[in-house]
Amino acid sequence: MTAMLNMLKQNWVKQSLRLLHHELRRGELTIIFLAIVLAVATVFSLTGFSGQVKQAILATSTNTIAADRVLRTSREASLEVIEKSQQSQLAMARKVETNSMAFAGEQMLLTELSAVSTSYPLKGQLTVKTSFEQIEADVVSAPPLGYVWVEPAVLTRLNVNVGDVLELGVAEFTVAGIITDIPDRSFSPFVSGPTVILNIDDIERTELIQPGSRVSYKYLFAGDESNIEEFSQWLRPKLNEAQRFYDAKKGQNQLANIVDTAEKFLSLASMLGIVLAAVAVAVASRRYGQRHQATVAVFKALGASQSHVSKLYVLHWSLLSLVSVIVGLLLGYVLLLIGISAIESYLSLEDTRLTYMPLLTAVFTGMLCSLAFALEPISALVKTSPLAVIRGFNDKVAVKFNFKKLVPLFALFLLLLLFSADLVMSLSLLFGGLCVSALLLLIGRLFMSAGRSVGSKAGKSWHLALANLKRRANENSVQLVSFTIAIKLLLLITVIKGSILSEWQQQFPESTPNHYLINVGDDEILPLKEFAADNGIANQGFFPIYRGRLSAINGEITTKVNNHQETDNESAQSEGKENENESEQQQGRRGVGRELSLTRLTKLPDGNTISSGTWWQPNEPNAQVSVESTIAERLDIKLGDSLSFDLGSDSFTVPVTSIREVDWQSRKINFYMIFNEVAVKDFVSTSVSGWMIKDQQKKAAYQFLSQFPTISIMDFGEIMKKVDEMIEQISIAIELILVLVVLAGSLVLVAQVQASMEDRERELAILRTLGAKGSLLRNSTLFEFVALGAIAGLMASIAMEIAVFFLQSQIFDMSASFHFQYWLVGIGAGAGFVGLIGMLSCWRLLNLSSVTLIRRTM
Amino acid sequence: MPINSETILKVQELTKSVQLEDKILELLQPINLEVKAGESLAIVGSSGSGKTTLLSILAGLDLPSSGQVYLKNHALHQFNEEQRSEVRAQHVGFIFQQFLLINSLTALENVMLPAELANQPDALERGKALLAQVGLGERGNHYPSQLSGGEQQRVAIARAFIANPDVLFADEPTGNLDTSTGVHIADLLFEMNKDIGTTLVLVTHDEKLAARCQRQVVMNSGVLTENKTLNKVSVEAKNEPDEIKGEFAEHETTTDKIGS
Repeated sequence: MTAMLNMLKQNWVKQSLRLLHHELRRGELTIIFLAIVLAVATVFSLTGFSGQVKQAILATSTNTIAADRVLRTSREASLEVIEKSQQSQLAMARKVETNSMAFAGEQMLLTELSAVSTSYPLKGQLTVKTSFEQIEADVVSAPPLGYVWVEPAVLTRLNVNVGDVLELGVAEFTVAGIITDIPDRSFSPFVSGPTVILNIDDIERTELIQPGSRVSYKYLFAGDESNIEEFSQWLRPKLNEAQRFYDAKKGQNQLANIVDTAEKFLSLASMLGIVLAAVAVAVASRRYGQRHQATVAVFKALGASQSHVSKLYVLHWSLLSLVSVIVGLLLGYVLLLIGISAIESYLSLEDTRLTYMPLLTAVFTGMLCSLAFALEPISALVKTSPLAVIRGFNDKVAVKFNFKKLVPLFALFLLLLLFSADLVMSLSLLFGGLCVSALLLLIGRLFMSAGRSVGSKAGKSWHLALANLKRRANENSVQLVSFTIAIKLLLLITVIKGSILSEWQQQFPESTPNHYLINVGDDEILPLKEFAADNGIANQGFFPIYRGRLSAINGEITTKVNNHQETDNESAQSEGKENENESEQQQGRRGVGRELSLTRLTKLPDGNTISSGTWWQPNEPNAQVSVESTIAERLDIKLGDSLSFDLGSDSFTVPVTSIREVDWQSRKINFYMIFNEVAVKDFVSTSVSGWMIKDQQKKAAYQFLSQFPTISIMDFGEIMKKVDEMIEQISIAIELILVLVVLAGSLVLVAQVQASMEDRERELAILRTLGAKGSLLRNSTLFEFVALGAIAGLMASIAMEIAVFFLQSQIFDMSASFHFQYWLVGIGAGAGFVGLIGMLSCWRLLNLSSVTLIRRTM
Repeated sequence: MPINSETILKVQELTKSVQLEDKILELLQPINLEVKAGESLAIVGSSGSGKTTLLSILAGLDLPSSGQVYLKNHALHQFNEEQRSEVRAQHVGFIFQQFLLINSLTALENVMLPAELANQPDALERGKALLAQVGLGERGNHYPSQLSGGEQQRVAIARAFIANPDVLFADEPTGNLDTSTGVHIADLLFEMNKDIGTTLVLVTHDEKLAARCQRQVVMNSGVLTENKTLNKVSVEAKNEPDEIKGEFAEHETTTDKIGS
């Protein structure tokens, strides 16, 4: 304390505080202050906000597996697993799934039976109604012993009502409610039928589970992330090939894809926001260094030592940084609250909490920005020679290479690494950015030179504006690169946002099936087709289904893989993508390790394209198979390879004649393997179809379909609505983050314009003295900024296109596209925005009287 | 080389040259000069003659290329930047043509600065007193931008005297002011110099101002000569400053070269 008081008595401390006090009061530090404030506020609000949104999205998506993690196994899990979960303080629920016929009187129906424990579900809600008329569904868990919850299709198909009796195996159950929502409902069109939920303690009574029964045991876990992680670490090495341990991301691909993309976007937006804010700090600190040269020279001329000046400025800058960081945190918190309140009605944030991470990250970023970006300008500043009081100040400091100039780059790299956690990506962004900046600098010079010759033919104001551009080429090049980077990043985020949203929206085009018809007999296809045609129900046609195994590739027997992450069925999702990295091969050729749903077709289905080979002609006499590209890559299957399949007790071998790309993002029914007619002509099949049944068609369709008791109908409408809703919520989050990034970008522009203000002031004074009219000065200033903005916009558009190509193809896994409309937006917005900000910043200056201008610049 | 107690500033065989791309430019030819304590010396000469270069070396802002510079027994030519800063803080005061007040500090804080840098006590009280002495007692809390040119230079004069410097270097102190304000500022400068007894080294174009110094030297293309004519009339100039006319060029025939 005494040491502190003694320090406060030191002259350099007093002088430093004095300078800080006056400069803050007079607004001389506003830009640098705002730059740091915005850097901190951006990081704090963006990371806090995206953290909360991620948590909320994850919470919503964990609803899709009804837990944080699920262990699925074909046999009951060992007691050790359950004990460990208890030790890890995890909540646990159990679920046993099997297929069974349900009987009601004379009627019977294949159903998906789920026996659940009373703690089910751990996440999300299981809701039932006791009648179709009930408006608000009740949130329930397992039904009481002797009762079942059933999906509506069970009632209509078996012609029963709530309160009626249903036979499952040897036991009888009373229907107690109609299921309206199952949190972990399957997305697959290959499930067997509508769901019936019973209490797990009733399953034994049904005697349905016998040796050899196809049963899936699910153990659902939920708890603190650290406990979950610890449990996962413990469990993963113990999993055998019949077990699969997954989280929400792995559990449901469609939602997982959205969450993944949203996460990537939010991280990218945060990163770009920070880069923008860092650029603002860099620009402002450079100006700070230049503006204080005179002060340092006078201090030194009057006898201040180098160490005196250094201490004075270190304290001055540190206090400025500290004040800015604190204000930035406060502003960031306010922005965060605004952001949260804006999405709260769309996204439940009840279970989310603000962690210390955004706070620490923001403080770290703020300090790193303020120290790293100021190191070079301030160290150059304190070295200002006292001789400058005699010889004058050199604004245009010779660009000499020194290692301090690398510090901001290193800081930027650290920030990129901090936010991307990806060394290669950070390095490529940094060096890519540097190369692009150098290139931009060069192109910018060319444009400005071109502008000069155009300007000489234009009117007086344009002439002066473009002459100014050319004359200040050095400073303008730096400004131009900053403007370009800011506009590019804004465009980039807008384009990526647009393409993410449109990609998501395209997932469910109008005709996307919301019902799957399964187990359709050959004789049932015709009446179904007629009904669909008569009632205008869009459908995908009928696909014959064969269940079979891939037994050998080129005669080499395939073995089971360690398939704890494999899923059972092909589906309308990008399952193939999910399994790219897993699977340890044991012995023999790598195979799929499970039964596949196979089909035969004469025509290539919609959404499939042949990437190599050719699709067969109708009535092709030789058996052939077409393989989906991701599985072909995974199993190293090439054109011309022979694939052997086991279907029931028979086997056959067919050559691969084509490899197909499949759009798994669409919810259409797709297959890994498609045969031609002749390959499977001796095998019996049933068919599946995807139907788009609108709400108003539902009643008639259900009534019609009830004539075919063996057909199972899966209603995916609710799930699709859920996904739609989630897309909408995430889209709003993305829009909000865009606003923050735009704010950060604007500050770069303001900082950059401010940085050139002293120069402009001097020039205006001279021009005024020489008799230039106010309107000429106003117009030429406006045109100069407009031209600068337009050039920056054009260059930003080019740079954006390159970056978007990279991001779309490498990061977001989307098809790359060209965005000419954004070029116009870039150029127009660049000209407008830079022109506006430039004019607003210079307005006061332009309206000063000649005398005042001259006196200020003396 | 020790200098006697009467001499406060002494240079011997001082030269300054700069390396240009293809040649060496001699800014100062070998110069010898002695300034006595309490003396006022004017260095006059045309633009580019080297007078400001000489001033910056005498004041310890710059180093000579060769030769010796002594300020109160401190061998400035042997000192590094830090040591010269120390000498400036303890012994030197400055007045600049551009005033060079620190815009972010108030007038009073600007005045206090040298006293603080020299770790002298009572900077505040003395600052206020000096501001009052230059007629700006009420303007202490004003920023430089709120003061006129003449007022800013008064603040600069107060700042120059606050640390009781042994030598005051003034570089064109009235160069940025109109004639009338310039005369008032010069009056103030000489009055205060007389009161405090500081040695004054003044660089100026203004012959009237130069004439008010006890001694004048002329700088011409890096060569320093003693101006005897101007020295003779300097006493009269103090009484009738407005009557002094003529160009320094006219006196060049009567000057004695004081360099080697």
